[in-house]
Amino acid sequence: MAQQQPMPGARYVDPKILARIGNLELLARNVVEGFINGLHRAPFFGASIDFAEHRGYVAGDDIRRVDWRLYARTDRYYVKQYEADTNTNLSVLLDVSRSMKFSSRGIPKIEYGCFVGACLAYLAQRQRDRVGLITFDNDIVDHVPPSAKHFNVVLHTMDRVKPDRPGNLAIPLHKMAEHFKRRGILVLISDFYEEPDGILEAIKPLKFLGNDLIVFHVLDPAEIDFGYEDASSFEDLETGEQIPVVPESLVKEYRQMIQAHIGALTTKFSEHRIDYTVLNTAEPLDRALFSYLSARERLMRVR
Amino acid sequence: MAFLTPAFFLGLAAIAIPVLVHLIQREKKRVVEFPSLMFVRRIPYQSVRRRRIRHWALLLLRAAAIALIAAAFARPFMRQGAVAAAAIGGAREIVVLLDNSASMGYGDHWRRAQDAARNVIRNMTANDRATLVLFGKNAEENMRATADRSRLEAAINTAKVSSGATRYGPALKLAESILTRSPIKRRETVLISDFQRSGWSGSEEVRFGDEMTLNTVSVASPNTANLAVPSVSFARASFSGQERITVTAGLSNKGDEALKNVPVTLTIDGHEIQTEHANVAAHASGSVAFTQFTLTGANVRGTVRAGTDPLPADNLFNFVLTPSAPVSLVVVDSGERGSSSLFLSKALSIGTTPQFQVETTTASRLTPAAFDKRSVVILNNTAYPPAAGGSALKRFVERGGGLLTIAGDSTSWSTSDLDLLPGKLGGIVDRMEGRSGSLGYLDYSHPVFEVFKAPRSGDFSAAHVFRYRSLQTTPAERVLARFDDGAVAAAEKKVGAGRSVIWTSTLDDSWTDIGVKPIFLPLVHQLVRYLAQYEQPTSWFTVGQVLDLTQRAKSRADRIVVTPSGERISQSSMGEGNEGLLELTEQGIYEVRTAGATATARPEAIAVNLDPAESDLNPIDPRELVAAVTGHASPMDVQPEQTQEMTREEAEKRQSLWWYLLLAGVGLLAAETAIANHLSRKERFL
Repeated sequence: MAQQQPMPGARYVDPKILARIGNLELLARNVVEGFINGLHRAPFFGASIDFAEHRGYVAGDDIRRVDWRLYARTDRYYVKQYEADTNTNLSVLLDVSRSMKFSSRGIPKIEYGCFVGACLAYLAQRQRDRVGLITFDNDIVDHVPPSAKHFNVVLHTMDRVKPDRPGNLAIPLHKMAEHFKRRGILVLISDFYEEPDGILEAIKPLKFLGNDLIVFHVLDPAEIDFGYEDASSFEDLETGEQIPVVPESLVKEYRQMIQAHIGALTTKFSEHRIDYTVLNTAEPLDRALFSYLSARERLMRVR
Repeated sequence: MAFLTPAFFLGLAAIAIPVLVHLIQREKKRVVEFPSLMFVRRIPYQSVRRRRIRHWALLLLRAAAIALIAAAFARPFMRQGAVAAAAIGGAREIVVLLDNSASMGYGDHWRRAQDAARNVIRNMTANDRATLVLFGKNAEENMRATADRSRLEAAINTAKVSSGATRYGPALKLAESILTRSPIKRRETVLISDFQRSGWSGSEEVRFGDEMTLNTVSVASPNTANLAVPSVSFARASFSGQERITVTAGLSNKGDEALKNVPVTLTIDGHEIQTEHANVAAHASGSVAFTQFTLTGANVRGTVRAGTDPLPADNLFNFVLTPSAPVSLVVVDSGERGSSSLFLSKALSIGTTPQFQVETTTASRLTPAAFDKRSVVILNNTAYPPAAGGSALKRFVERGGGLLTIAGDSTSWSTSDLDLLPGKLGGIVDRMEGRSGSLGYLDYSHPVFEVFKAPRSGDFSAAHVFRYRSLQTTPAERVLARFDDGAVAAAEKKVGAGRSVIWTSTLDDSWTDIGVKPIFLPLVHQLVRYLAQYEQPTSWFTVGQVLDLTQRAKSRADRIVVTPSGERISQSSMGEGNEGLLELTEQGIYEVRTAGATATARPEAIAVNLDPAESDLNPIDPRELVAAVTGHASPMDVQPEQTQEMTREEAEKRQSLWWYLLLAGVGLLAAETAIANHLSRKERFL
């Protein structure tokens, strides 16, 4: 009897991870536009249970929405308006440039990114959000339009990614900005090997559309602590350039630079109200996602 | 400290390898992939780090390890160590026989021989004693048994090549006697020579005991090229009262290659007279004749010089020419028959070396003045000179003159003068009847008949003797010849410094026919030469000959000899018992001056040349010599370089320092590995 093959990409939806984050929600921080009711605030008034405001009755309004108690006090017809709850599009923007295939130990960054993207897509799909995927390097590689039925396609696409080209944020992100017409949640997963200003410039157009932008900065522990000992030729996975490196001599400076880079990104993203999270591939993904989502929920309540 | 194979020190260049690795090594070829080097690129790359030696201890360890290994391969040994190693077998008595004969002057033979001798000395232990013996024809203890190596080396350094011939016998005998006297058990002889075959006849009575060893160091060169002037001959001719000499130089080419157009120069009294060119085939002889020259006086010094080669000493031949003096003699006959001395005078007129000046007279006319400047008086079948003539003759003989008495029927001696006569003269023996008599016995040991000694050198039996005078000799007289019947044919008696010989038959055609026989002329010449005590003037001597100056002296005054090297030797200083004896040890011209002689007087010159045998460099196999001397071939009798190497090899082998060095080198490498690993755990850089 033929054994049933698991679905390609299904491995990215790890039950262990989901068990940890399954009771969390990924809610759009901004209002998003969806077609059906969902968990997110829509830009419009709708039929949710959240009261928004009163407005004067005009002909054509559904008389069921007339606030009779207010009519009794004011003798005027007011209609109660409720905030619309909607679903949204969750697009995972996954950097599949060559640098993402790096792995010093454990899983490569691209794998880690796929896990993150898949888990979030799963969460979104579970809350009836539409999920899509755009993989990019120095251009857009694959595009899975957001759809309620595209979760499997997203997983398939994630399974097929091959990080074999150099990356560049500006070009593909600008193209994406032109593409996204509807406000949604954009999950950008990359290692951000560009200047912070350049990154921000590349991302800004996405933000301008009103999208809720969640940025995951995936880094291998080796990229953070540069824990090399041997003097070797280091090859830049992006450019193929090789440089003789004596780790001992530059590890201190490197660590300072990468921390400065992360710090700069943190600052700049927070300035633009962009969620920015550094994911260390050495950390268990469930813990990382859990802490992120929990924090996001807390922040949402505060707002 | 010395090294057997110092070429391996080229391996020290490998020390540069770790230095270069330190300095120019690029980081390991292993490529580490990294997502982006954008940060790394911003950090200034410290390329200087590559050029800076970071771990000096490690570098020094590596360099030391390589140096030790290179030194191990160079196979070092300590000279002191070699000495110590040799001392294991106990102290040694060493006799170094260093050949300093003239042939050692060939090329670099002498330098190599000195090196070999020094090597032997340096390999001595503190307990060893060595004797340095320089030998040529004779052996001489140059440095008596001593353990002082510096003195021995100084003696070797100051030793020079002599002009002597090579004789191994005396040297080996001296070595054997030194070793026999030595109380030390280990006795060694090291013979350093070019091993000329001419120096070993095989009949030397030298035998080393079993406890003595003979090691040889041969400095002989293969394919020696040597041209020599072994002899010079002179043809004398009289011309208008002066003597003219034609010099013919003999040339001998001992080499394997023919010599062409070799210049041969004749120098007389320091002036180059003539240069001829000669071709001499390989292993062949030739000659060059120069044009005649007139001999102007006594002691004319001449030199023939031929070509150039690695042994220049034998390219030179010295000689001294003196006009030959004729032998003056007076023939006294009875005067009755004018032809009785015809045979004699005719025979004596032929001689050239020497020339004979013959004067014929009768006994009655013989005066004491007739003996002046005479060498020989021949009484040819005549009575003894009467009165003053007789006594003058007696004095003449006693002073060294020669008297030949030819007995015949007219010979008669007064009883008072019989002491001049060798024997008692008797009557006439007639052999006319039957078979005539002949000469049956000749004393070939006597100088007169010596020249006839060789076979076919004169047939005296062909001469018929019909009559002779009987002679009774006493043991004091020496019988020189006898007739076939045993009667004395010739006898000799020494009288004072002179000689008296009697021939008991006539030397004409009256009693014998010897006058027409071939032996007549040489017999007469030999008799006269002997009686005149004539010695052919020697134009040159050979190194090693001993000269009796007293015999050559014309006065009793002290004589001073100036050697070719300029040393002045007084005759009186030659030592008791050796007065007048001069050993000719140097090649060249000796000058003999009479003390007090005027400076203008030309001194007597003695030309001395090398022994011609020295020119023959053909070597004997040292093993042959060792086998002859020790009774068994020594395993150490090898060529000099090999011997030297063997000695060095032995020393190196005994010490085996290379083993320790190699171990130390490997140990250092192991330490280096450990340290390098330890360091590389931190950086893995080196």
